[in-house]
Amino acid sequence: MSFISICFTILFICSIVLFYALPKSQKLILLVSSFIFIGYYHIAFLAIAVGIAMITYFAGRMIATADNDKKAGWLLLSSILLLVFIWLALRHPWIVPKSIYLFPLGISFYSFQALSYLIDIYWGDEKPERNVWDFLIYMLFFMKFLSGPIERSGDFLPQIKGEKTFDYDIVSFGLKLIVIGLFKKVVIADNMAPYIDNMYAGMHTASGVQLLMTCLLYPIQLYTDFSGYTDIAIGGAAMFGLKLAPNFDRPFISKSTSELWRRWHMSLSFWVRDYVYIPLTSVTRRMGLTGISFSLIITFTALGLWHGAGWNFVVYGLIQGVIITYEMLTTGLHKRMANAMGQSFYNSVFIIRTYLLYAVSLVFFRAESLSDATYLISHISLQVNSKWNEINIGMPDRNTLVCSITFVLLMVFEHYNQDNNLIKVISKKPTAVRWIVYYIIVLILFIYGAFNTDTFVYLQF
Amino acid sequence: MDKLEIIKELNVLFQDVLKKGEVKLAIESTTDDVEGWDSLTNMLIINTIEKKYSIKFGFREIIKLKNVGDLCNAIIKKAA
Repeated sequence: MSFISICFTILFICSIVLFYALPKSQKLILLVSSFIFIGYYHIAFLAIAVGIAMITYFAGRMIATADNDKKAGWLLLSSILLLVFIWLALRHPWIVPKSIYLFPLGISFYSFQALSYLIDIYWGDEKPERNVWDFLIYMLFFMKFLSGPIERSGDFLPQIKGEKTFDYDIVSFGLKLIVIGLFKKVVIADNMAPYIDNMYAGMHTASGVQLLMTCLLYPIQLYTDFSGYTDIAIGGAAMFGLKLAPNFDRPFISKSTSELWRRWHMSLSFWVRDYVYIPLTSVTRRMGLTGISFSLIITFTALGLWHGAGWNFVVYGLIQGVIITYEMLTTGLHKRMANAMGQSFYNSVFIIRTYLLYAVSLVFFRAESLSDATYLISHISLQVNSKWNEINIGMPDRNTLVCSITFVLLMVFEHYNQDNNLIKVISKKPTAVRWIVYYIIVLILFIYGAFNTDTFVYLQF
Repeated sequence: MDKLEIIKELNVLFQDVLKKGEVKLAIESTTDDVEGWDSLTNMLIINTIEKKYSIKFGFREIIKLKNVGDLCNAIIKKAA
């Protein structure tokens, strides 16, 4: 059941209406809606998700009540190994025969949520949840089930303890966020996606300039697709009175790759920072910069591998780790460069440099194999096969214009909408002004939106 | 050793590790308040502190350190 489908719209509207109409049954409504959402894809997905949630629930309680630290440590280790084994076995079908294999959607996201829950209990940062129904909502809540954000129990569980009353401002804010998410997805991402897909499928006959543009445009497609999904997830959850973790914070203004990873897929990058990088550096810290560099490279390689078991994902992660290590080792040099160049010029140069490096690394993320990725990168040039209009990678002029204008508008909107200020400002304008803005956005959505797909890039992970 | 004395020493130590001109730490300072003090440099700072005071922190002690005050308390406790 995709976010962009009639079935989901019906489920969502019914859930919201019942949620506020029957305040005593709010948790039941959230749980039943989540069960329907997951089970609608495949009943096995629901069984697997509930199974993992129950293993995590009982493991958490056992870790917390263990007689001593050593026993708690063993329990944590066995639980982690079990969860990682299940994740690997179901994520990569080397146990289940390929003929009957179905990739359980969302498993990478809720498995990582389960791991952080257990580790936080062992570290003494969180207490185990007593109420099994609340815990099931934490693990399976349908607005974040498919592709996150990866929630921390300490942030999410306290929110579902109380009864939610209807708050017009919060509900309308959530609705606006959903519209912004849809806008990103159907007006920008889906107007570009088929042409970028075509370029990747036919890269051996594409011209150098087409490959260059494919490489440069893919970060925009991926960002508008995934952050569009995230806005819908966060907006939908907000309508239930639940605040989910942010996942993106204007990544394309990053002046370094390390800053980019504090702004891009934040719930995953903060997860690997807290549960992989920090434990690793605590072991390697006595090796000084060498230890930190080693930990960074291992962490980002693991982050790459989270996306899939191919060498292309290893290289994707490795590139991030190597660049961030280089940036860490050259902090002094960058300060001197900023002083010499002037801060504004330095910022402009390094924003472009960060984007270009990320665009090249994403070729490894998007390509089917390592050889495809290296082919594409090595054949990038300014050469055309016949005409200069190959620069639009086959996109009709209409799509090119729509994507260019709306993406620039989106960047301007995001610049002025830090902490959702712009949404709040628009909400306080006179009714006529507000509704003119809303109508324009919805009209653009329906006139220029590409409703030819209901899938999102990150559903595959 | 009291907290103020340790903070003075930590100011110098942070300057060296973060390669900054001047650092002014306070008891309540966190990674949000000091430019350059982040997950990349935190363990370098911890390692330098361990060497300077000839102490060793356990992993779970490190993750409990939320601000400079916690760091001072941990140094006082370990160095005692």
